[in-house]
Amino acid sequence: MREVWIAGAGITRIGRRGESLSDLMAEAAHAALRDAGLERPDAIVAAAMNPEEFVGDGNFASHVATHMGLAETPAMRIETATSSGAAALYAGFAQVAAGLRHRVLVVGGEKMTHLDTPRVSELIGRSIDPYERSYGATMPALAGLVARALIARNGDAPREMAQIAVKNHANALRNPYAHFHRSVTIDEVMDSRMVADPLRLLHCCPISDGAAAVVLTAERAAVRITGIGQGTDTLALRHRDALTSFRASRAAARAAFAMAGFGPERVDVAELHDAFAPFELISLEDLGLVPSGKAGRATLDGETALDGRLPVNPSGGLKARGHPLAATGLAQIVECVWQLTGRAEGRQVPARVALAQSIGGLATNNWVTLLEAS
Amino acid sequence: MRIETIQGSRCPACGLTVAPPAPFCPRDPVAMTSVELEGAGEIVSFTTLHSPPAGFRSPLHLALVALPGGARFICHGAETRGLRIGSRVAIEAVNDVYYFSHLGALDRARLFWRRTGRAGDRVHAIARSLAKRAWKGRERVSN
Repeated sequence: MREVWIAGAGITRIGRRGESLSDLMAEAAHAALRDAGLERPDAIVAAAMNPEEFVGDGNFASHVATHMGLAETPAMRIETATSSGAAALYAGFAQVAAGLRHRVLVVGGEKMTHLDTPRVSELIGRSIDPYERSYGATMPALAGLVARALIARNGDAPREMAQIAVKNHANALRNPYAHFHRSVTIDEVMDSRMVADPLRLLHCCPISDGAAAVVLTAERAAVRITGIGQGTDTLALRHRDALTSFRASRAAARAAFAMAGFGPERVDVAELHDAFAPFELISLEDLGLVPSGKAGRATLDGETALDGRLPVNPSGGLKARGHPLAATGLAQIVECVWQLTGRAEGRQVPARVALAQSIGGLATNNWVTLLEAS
Repeated sequence: MRIETIQGSRCPACGLTVAPPAPFCPRDPVAMTSVELEGAGEIVSFTTLHSPPAGFRSPLHLALVALPGGARFICHGAETRGLRIGSRVAIEAVNDVYYFSHLGALDRARLFWRRTGRAGDRVHAIARSLAKRAWKGRERVSN
């Protein structure tokens, strides 16, 4: 297997955007290519979770490649629900590692804010088991079941969940690309509108537009991908016996650390999939970044803050950087690359090893990627 | 009170029991066999949706219930007042849609006596139930 390096990274401002999905993806892709000093890649891997229904475009790999002026570059689209960006990174990584391609552009994006919230919720909800959906289950509903189980296990979880939102909003204040630039307090989070009891509005990520891209290469560059792991679980939540730990995250972490040849103790900074605040607490433990049962305490003690032992979601996370579905897995990688190369202006942390975790669906198809500065 | 019978499936390889029935085990590529499950169980978790999807009335109460035999079942409920993780509920079908209802003390006793057979088992089960309750009392669900 050849070593795979990241030669360039690019991202759009995340939030409510007037441009089309293909415009946003072209913006991120061209930024990544410019950063890599490359005019044309050998291949493109594109990720969009549901462009057919969000924007009405199909044959999407060709659509987006043509739009960005790369119609003659081989392109394909990858999809694993909300972790599609991370899955696309894996597909690009595999092509370079196998020696099939030399330089691959990986780009992900989503455009959602032009639709109303119930419609967006319905489209995202299609990644849920059909029987559970027939009972009205949405992503927030299933996350509400998870949150209540977490609170039952640990009575302090409401404060801990609120602190995740407080921390990630504070980080996003320092990220010019983030969806939100406003701080929130624990009380504001705990008094915000109830969405899926006990989950409140400020525990949930927003609906965002945006795109992110990286250029992978077999030539030595500033950051190397040292491990990528995928983990999966049943589509239906009722087919699992645990609600406060995700098998898909544990399996993905095991595979990624095995490939990298080191353990979680070497991770200096992490971007985690906090689509709902309790997911950051669960993920910290699933990935072995904090001991089991200690994620809440570590969060309240500031261990995961920008100046803590292990900064988590310096970009603001899904909660405050925003969550343009298929862009998210790559937006995390862009943040990690910037952190590892000293380019995370205003929110820079000292780091040699970074971890990104992306959750697909209700933790049915998850990814963990490990990056190391050269 | 009538106790519903719920159709399910069991995996001959790993023993996973699911409801409603599924042709294949989600964790093993083998065909599942049919089982009948008693429609009463314990709340695993529950939530109330305040902006449910189109076609559902707000607030929408949803619960995950562990049925005897291990299957977990998703259902609606009329209310969640007094409900806690571990609460005993009965499941009823109305027009093929399943609803949970919180079991009162009398219902629980009736179910309990029906299920436990010999006197020795009964004493054992009572002790277990009391111990379990004392344990559960420690983890009050707060909202």
